[in-house]
Amino acid sequence: MTVQRERVSLGVGDELPAITKEVTQEQLHRYADASGDHNPLHLDPDFAATTQFGGTIAHGMLVLAFISEMLTSAFGRDWLTSGRLKIRFRAAARPGDWLTSSGRLKKVDDARLICDIECRNAGGEVVLDGTAEVTVS
Amino acid sequence: MPSTLAALPKGYEFPPTTFTLSCEWVDAYIDAVGDTAIKSLNPDLVPPMAVAALGIRALIEASPLPPGTLHAGQELSFHRAINVGEELSVRAKVVSRGERAGWVLMSVDLEVSAGDGRVMSGRATITFPVES
Repeated sequence: MTVQRERVSLGVGDELPAITKEVTQEQLHRYADASGDHNPLHLDPDFAATTQFGGTIAHGMLVLAFISEMLTSAFGRDWLTSGRLKIRFRAAARPGDWLTSSGRLKKVDDARLICDIECRNAGGEVVLDGTAEVTVS
Repeated sequence: MPSTLAALPKGYEFPPTTFTLSCEWVDAYIDAVGDTAIKSLNPDLVPPMAVAALGIRALIEASPLPPGTLHAGQELSFHRAINVGEELSVRAKVVSRGERAGWVLMSVDLEVSAGDGRVMSGRATITFPVES
């Protein structure tokens, strides 16, 4: 089955248009200010060096914002009005990482599209994965 | 009121709070995450993840995260598009709390509403060291 959309035309198994972004430490500070999450694990290199990560890592919700941007690009307003996602964070994203957010249409149930989604770093490590659903109008 | 999230038991309900999606805050959020997709739809629309972030911010301000807290998982459902300037209210509840290998695993249900009803709902799962 193929679903025609203004932005993408998708069949089961097709890939959503991926986006790739670099994470920077300066970005983590801006995100902390916007989100109110000033956890030193994201902002304080001295504190972060004492953790199992050995350095600062990105906020999970920042990485998830990259996924949402990818889904907004793919599904437009439908994502905003009917989107649903369920993800697990699998690995840390660090300043300097280039992250690619991608998805694949897994199933079509009437107007409801179900996609596998993931975000990987440049080394191919999965940072997060899960599923996203959207009803297309 | 508990000093940090680490002190919250299962069943704890956060004090309801309200927030307004000001133009300045939404612009700062979009700049921080580098979202180029949302403005192409309509400049008045707010990225749905921004609403989630601001809802979580309201919780953090009530009960700060223990240092070293990790975000383990996230579920979210969006029920309608949200515009800049809207006033939203958030309710949240600790729905599970367990300990394993020196770490607490906690899930918090979150519901964000506007005057016309629910606009977003979800569940955040976080983990932090027991001694936090």
